[in-house]
Amino acid sequence: MIKFVIIFIGLLLFSINGFGSVNNCMSCHLDLEDEGGSASKFAKDIHSQKGLGCADCHGGDPTLDDMDDVRDSRGFRGVPNHLEVPDFCARCHSDATYMHNHNPSLPVDQLAKYKTSIHGQLLFSAKDKKVANCVSCHSVHEIGNGQMPYSSTHPSNLPATCAKCHSDKDYMAEYKIPTDQFEKYSSSVHGQALLERGDLGAPACNDCHGNHGAAPPGVSSLAAVCGVCHALEAELFEKSPHADAFLENDFPMCETCHSNHDIVKPSDKMIGTAESSLCTECHAADDGTIGLPTADSILTSLNNLVLAHLNAKQSLDEAILKGMMTTNEEFLLKEVDQSLIQARTLIHSFDMDSVAPKAMEGIAKADTIIVNSAGLIDEYYFRRKGLAVATLIITFLAFMLYRKIRKIEQK
Amino acid sequence: MSDNNSRRKFLSWLTGLGSVAFLGSIIYPAYKFLVPPESGEANVSQVKLPFTRSEIEGDEKKAKTFKFGRTLGLIVLTGEGELKAMAATCTHLDCTVQHRPDLGIIWCSCHNGRYDLDGKNISGPPPKPLEQYIVNEIKGEIFVSKETA
Repeated sequence: MIKFVIIFIGLLLFSINGFGSVNNCMSCHLDLEDEGGSASKFAKDIHSQKGLGCADCHGGDPTLDDMDDVRDSRGFRGVPNHLEVPDFCARCHSDATYMHNHNPSLPVDQLAKYKTSIHGQLLFSAKDKKVANCVSCHSVHEIGNGQMPYSSTHPSNLPATCAKCHSDKDYMAEYKIPTDQFEKYSSSVHGQALLERGDLGAPACNDCHGNHGAAPPGVSSLAAVCGVCHALEAELFEKSPHADAFLENDFPMCETCHSNHDIVKPSDKMIGTAESSLCTECHAADDGTIGLPTADSILTSLNNLVLAHLNAKQSLDEAILKGMMTTNEEFLLKEVDQSLIQARTLIHSFDMDSVAPKAMEGIAKADTIIVNSAGLIDEYYFRRKGLAVATLIITFLAFMLYRKIRKIEQK
Repeated sequence: MSDNNSRRKFLSWLTGLGSVAFLGSIIYPAYKFLVPPESGEANVSQVKLPFTRSEIEGDEKKAKTFKFGRTLGLIVLTGEGELKAMAATCTHLDCTVQHRPDLGIIWCSCHNGRYDLDGKNISGPPPKPLEQYIVNEIKGEIFVSKETA
């Protein structure tokens, strides 16, 4: 009798569990769709991986066989139109209690942020059916989080995700904004780091513009945006005389010298008084400021350090090539590298008294390398000459021994 | 006869001199090989730091850098008085990191990369942690060594 009860309970549990996991949506939709359609993609989707099924988003009873019956079943929501998508997703994603059961660490403010973005404002206020909603960036049934390499929001895929719309001239025509951001970004120092070298620490679009609250950084907040990574440069700039001057003239902070999407690796030619210098774009010799003399002094200081670094490296390379032990000098060269990085960073103070000491420190270290390397190269030649002398001595000794042996033999 | 004698003596003397020079050419390189060079070894597993805990304590940033073979190490004195050592080269783009006692972190000023005091990357671009070293204080001297496999 007990055995019968256990078997009955087991069968009951199996049948409940079995019915619960029935998903007839897939069996029909896979048949109806072409290969690579939404239904077949869903296995990759993070919602599928978290155990959610079609009905969790689209509603309806997935155990029913007939599509018409499913449409008529309780809670069927079907496919939302473009304007309905944000609220469709937010039904779960803005519900802290629901999200806590699936991914407690995931924020639940995406919809609130989206409403502050240009995208959200156009969608909700202007009922714009072209502007990006959730699925425009996250895809429809291949949604992944930012850590999944195939995800459209993975840092290395994100620029292309934004570019889907923002690089399409026809699509963007009515918004009257440039469409060359992706092209410029791809050739920028950030784009090359992220897209070519795979440096996931390099910023993608969302790192500067935000993601759900996407908007262009304001003129005055630009230093804060760039300062997320370039903290020291931003701090030095904000203390510099340029900070107030830029604000007064409505110059975007970092962007004025470095541009925005097509930021290239900075060069020392950007400073100074030559034609290539950016300083001369605002400053003139008779503008009553110390701008150009300072720029000139900073450039001279930097050039001296760069030259000293180059000479030190050449001397050291020669010593290395000759097989000398150069551990200390190689170590010192790394310190000169650091001095060069720091001196270039200190440019953002636009203060000669900050740059010059750092440059001098680097030059002194470079000089030490040059002197030490010269000593090592001398040592190399001393050893070479020593080898020649030793060879001569050995040859001479061998000859003398030969003569001595012959003398003994003659006796 | 005396000519022969003096010639023989001269030749013997030259042979002796040659022998001494010969020995010298063997002994000198051997001596140079045995005496440790001024430069440290390229690959080391342990170093004795050329400063004491009180010198680190006296440092404004409560930290000092030191040579560890061809690389740079950083030793920091934590708020709890513990000495922690790690590689001083940022894992992002090779800048030298520094201790920020005001924030309780290791900081790379190049791209605002941050590590905790165990060298674990906690924010910013660094893709991996800083290599951790073992610190031993013996009779006032600080020894830093790499973890053995």
